[in-house]
Amino acid sequence: MIGLLRAAVLAFVLLTVVYVIVSIYSRSVRREKLEKAWDSDPEKLGAESSERDAYIRAGMEAYRNSLRRKLIVLVYIIPMAVVLATAYVVNHQ
Amino acid sequence: MWTKTKWTLRILAALFVLGFLHYTLPQHDIVKITGTYNRLTTIGSSNAWAYASPDTGTAESSTTRDIRFIETAYSDGSVMVYRNEDTGWIWPPYFKYDSSNLQAEAGNLKSDAANPKWVVVTHYGWRLPILSIYPNAVSVREAAGPDERVIPYVSIVVIVFLIFAVVMIRRIWAQFWERTLEPAAAGVEETWDGVEAKATGAMARLKAWIKSWRRKA
Repeated sequence: MIGLLRAAVLAFVLLTVVYVIVSIYSRSVRREKLEKAWDSDPEKLGAESSERDAYIRAGMEAYRNSLRRKLIVLVYIIPMAVVLATAYVVNHQ
Repeated sequence: MWTKTKWTLRILAALFVLGFLHYTLPQHDIVKITGTYNRLTTIGSSNAWAYASPDTGTAESSTTRDIRFIETAYSDGSVMVYRNEDTGWIWPPYFKYDSSNLQAEAGNLKSDAANPKWVVVTHYGWRLPILSIYPNAVSVREAAGPDERVIPYVSIVVIVFLIFAVVMIRRIWAQFWERTLEPAAAGVEETWDGVEAKATGAMARLKAWIKSWRRKA
C-alpha cells in the first residue's frame, strides 16, 4: 500500500509540472492570437497603443474565465482515469 | 565525420526507444498452457531490471524469491515460459496485483496435446534465456482458436498518444523560444546598441529596458 501512496505523490508532482507548463503555453498562445488579431485589423491602424493594451487585457480577462482554461485540469483527471481503468481491466476481468 | 557520428547517435537513440516500447507495451500470444508452478528463483545484478522491484506484492526479497511461472506451447510446437509477478504501482504501468488469481486462471485453462485449449496470453517483456528473463503475463483468456487475430488497441492508443506528446512538446518549446527567449535576446541586443551609441538618452533607454522585463498584464 505504501507503494501506491508513493506513486500517487510522484504522479501528483509530475502532473503539476505538466499542468503549469500547459497553462503557460495556452495563455501565451491566446495572447499571441489577440496581438495578431489587433495588428492585422485595418480599422485599428492608427489606434493608440493604450487601446491595443486595453484590447489585449480584455481578451486575457475573457480567457481567464473561459471553459478552455478550465479544461486544463483534465491534465490531472485523464491520467487518473487511465490508471483506474488499467488497474480494473488488469486485475478484475 | 560529424554527420556519421550524428547519425550513429540518432540510430542508437531510435533503437533504444523502439526496444523500450517493444519491452513495455502489451503483446498477445496464442498458446496452450501446459503447466503452472512456483520456483525459487535467484535474481542477479544482470537481470534484476527484468523482474518486479523488491517492494511489490509478490517479490519478498531482492535476491531469491518464489516466482510463479506459466509454461505454454504455440501451435507450431515451440514453447514459451511466462513469469507471473505483480508489477507494483510505478513501472511498468500495468498496476497488476492479482498474480495469485491469474495463476489460478492459468491452471484452470491447462490442456494437453491431445485436446488443446487455445488461450490468449497478454504479456509484456522478453524471453531471453541467456539472462534468465521471462515476459510477465498480465492476463489470460480463452481464444477463439489457434489462428485468432488480436488487434493491439492499447499499443495503438499509447503510440498515438506518444506522437501527440512529442508534437505538443515541440510546439510548446517553439512558442517559448519565439515569445520569451527571442524577445529577451533582442532586448539585450538593444541595450548593447545603446551603450555603443553612447550618451544621448542613456537613462531613457535604461528605463525602457527595465520596463521590458516587467510582466505585461
